[in-house]
Amino acid sequence: MTKIDLDELLYKVEKPARYIGNELNSVKKDLNQVDIRFGFAFPDVYEVGMSHLGMHILYNLLNNQNEIYCERIFSPWADMEGLLKEKEMPLFTLETHSPIHELDFIGFTLQYELSYSNILNILALGNIPLRSNERGMEDPIIIAGGPCAYNPEPIADIVDIFVLGEAEEVILELLDKYKLWKHSGRNKKDFYHSIAGIKGVYIPSFYRVEYHENGTLDAFVPLSDNAPNKISKRIIKNLDDVYFPEKVIVPFIDVVHNRAMVEIFRGCTRGCRFCQAGMIYRPVRERSVDKVKDLAHEIINNTGYEELSLSSLSTSDYSGLNDLIRHLIDKYGEQKVGLSLPSLRLDSFTLQLIEEIQKIRKTGLTFAPEAGTQRLRDVINKGVTEEDLIQAMENAFSLGWNNVKLYFMIGLPTETYEDLDGIVDLAHKVVETYYKVPKEKRNKGLNVTISTSSFVPKPFTPFQWEAQDSIETLREKQIYLKGKLRHKNIKYSYHHTETSFLEGVFARGDRKLGEVLIKAWENGCKFDGWHDFFKYDQWMKAFEDCNIDPHFYASRKRSYEEMLPWEHIEIGITKQYLKKENERAQEAVLTHDCRTSCTGCGINQGFIGGVC
Amino acid sequence: MSKLRVKFVKNDLMKFISHLDLLRLMERALRRADIKLSFSQGFNPHPKISFATAVPIGLSSEGEYMDVELDEELKPDSFVDRVNRQLPEGIKIISAKNIEAKTPALMAIVDASSYIVSCPLENDTTQNTIEVAIKDFMDLEEIIIHKVSKKNGRNVTKEIDIKGFIYKMELLEHSGRSIIFKLMLATGSKGNLKPEVLIEKFIHDMEVPIILDQVRVHRLELYTLVGDTLITPLEING
Ligand code: SF4
Repeated sequence: MTKIDLDELLYKVEKPARYIGNELNSVKKDLNQVDIRFGFAFPDVYEVGMSHLGMHILYNLLNNQNEIYCERIFSPWADMEGLLKEKEMPLFTLETHSPIHELDFIGFTLQYELSYSNILNILALGNIPLRSNERGMEDPIIIAGGPCAYNPEPIADIVDIFVLGEAEEVILELLDKYKLWKHSGRNKKDFYHSIAGIKGVYIPSFYRVEYHENGTLDAFVPLSDNAPNKISKRIIKNLDDVYFPEKVIVPFIDVVHNRAMVEIFRGCTRGCRFCQAGMIYRPVRERSVDKVKDLAHEIINNTGYEELSLSSLSTSDYSGLNDLIRHLIDKYGEQKVGLSLPSLRLDSFTLQLIEEIQKIRKTGLTFAPEAGTQRLRDVINKGVTEEDLIQAMENAFSLGWNNVKLYFMIGLPTETYEDLDGIVDLAHKVVETYYKVPKEKRNKGLNVTISTSSFVPKPFTPFQWEAQDSIETLREKQIYLKGKLRHKNIKYSYHHTETSFLEGVFARGDRKLGEVLIKAWENGCKFDGWHDFFKYDQWMKAFEDCNIDPHFYASRKRSYEEMLPWEHIEIGITKQYLKKENERAQEAVLTHDCRTSCTGCGINQGFIGGVC
Repeated sequence: MSKLRVKFVKNDLMKFISHLDLLRLMERALRRADIKLSFSQGFNPHPKISFATAVPIGLSSEGEYMDVELDEELKPDSFVDRVNRQLPEGIKIISAKNIEAKTPALMAIVDASSYIVSCPLENDTTQNTIEVAIKDFMDLEEIIIHKVSKKNGRNVTKEIDIKGFIYKMELLEHSGRSIIFKLMLATGSKGNLKPEVLIEKFIHDMEVPIILDQVRVHRLELYTLVGDTLITPLEING
């Protein structure tokens, strides 16, 4: 696209800076000097995509290779999409504003199921055929990874290559093979064959799926000798050695997470039974405190960010947290660089840390009990007690906080209305706790936000066999809570039940859903995670037209014997372990954090060898 | 402790970033340049950077100003040099000078802006037609526009005579299908007129076939009125 064409588009859209590229630390390369053009595509709007750490890692990793140029692609907002269609212009990359079909690869990151329709939309706006088998030599190769790739089947007919697990090594191995192939003049299939054996690579077209008459899976058949029966995820052994970007792009506009990020560890050992991340990212691997300090230093210097976030699944579990935080406060406090610690467990130790952090910049307080009664918290293996919560709240209120958020899930297995009452009770106890704190110690004006999301059973969790609550049931529960949470200090917010249902369908879907997805997109579905765009009726029409019952996927309890659509994927956690955890859940028996002693999930067997 | 008044340009793709984006960008550029900014007190410390005007998205400019308060003494030249190395293509500091702490804020002193405005035309129009239109327009007794604003949730329409806000309107260039104006208009708290608003009114009253949504505005300079003369914020003593 010429500069003038782009200018004309930009004058007509809301937030034109979403499309200009050119940000600090974005990479410029001479197209004549590169061998492979890669498009990193985040199937959502710029502000969401740019907040995602994985994108920054891969973008910089790829651009660190001389012969590769990685550019960015995001979903254009509806206004830009309208203009592109009106002017018959193809969707473009941010770096060089080139049509996306000129690229060799487009790599989608799959962060949530509700972004799948946006994948199709991006392809279509780029004039790229939607189905893998419709694309030819001249089309880009479509590759995908990220948490949703652990059940790749719903988009297996769309994506050419999936990469499972942590991509830093495997992506380069794959692109090395591509370089060899590119100049060989042979067809795409030959390239796929050359990579099919790489650990972590899944090529769906090399497999056939067979079904029973009742719609469940019968067999998953490799169609070629070099297609492995089971595909294992990749993990990075040592986080101190793996590439981590020091010069990350600094967006011009305000994105969702507008700050520097350093990942302090991967994996989680808490073993919450609803949590997919806690299973798929095992084992725990920490980055050393020294390495984190170095990275933080470089990133702050290279970006000028006013806030640094330490990212992980459970920040409090980082063994060097205290040392690290004191260091960061000492070093950057004067420059007013604030710290944010997501996923923190609030105990007295972390509250002290947060109090220190507060002296630089104010942060909000969140707490995630996830369930309202001790029984249900035991079911999901969330090892917090009411005492912990109230104690933390009391401390927080006396330290001056008056804005707290509590996260819960509704629709969890075995949940009854007693558990909902538990949420209400907790909310009121938090309010009481506030008023018990002496007036001179607390800040005026209490705001307690109770937020409920709707539980969606996910693959590779102990609840992967469970039925999801229906839309109606969830709605009744929300209405019930809404009625009981009317209080001047309490605000109740909740998720839309229809979107949770759709998420549930695709989370545990099989290959048959690919056609439904295409149909829904044809019906105008996109940005399904955005309430203003979500078209439930069109989705239901798509299911009907394809003769597929969405409840088969979301609302059905599976038996342990049933072959699951993701059975060919190996994350290193055994099915046996998940089963056992599910049974313990039904009995509301806790399983301890495996940092104290191994609980036998299996990851230490084939994946890392020996102990965790 | 010191205070600097800085003049900078904002053009090319950078015309598409908002005022808040610009503020963030400057703060981060200054931090990267290792310049010690002064911060406001309180829970959410803000750097003491203040701009002359809030530049709207789409406006390119070679005459923007900001005041920056520092926790150190710094030679203006060194400031310009260090910060420019940290600024993205399209934003550049042209000059800076030390000012006294008590120097009135930019926001309070700005009175006028000069602009170049390019306007594509729907059909060929002669230079003469346009010149006559400008003359007739400027000869009007009053030029009333209607401004709609919300008051207590209701729309209230206010009549404003903008004649006094137009200091100069002249034709700079003409070629069959497009024209370029040079304008000097009121800017700031005492009176403010956006070029687009003026052009819209001009199209409406004089029936000149300008395509309004393709009008492009470039700011040349900001001025403050001292006595009868317009001087730039950097020319003020203090
Ligand atoms: S193998 Fe044992 S210690 Fe390692 S993650 Fe699994 S349960 Fe925890």
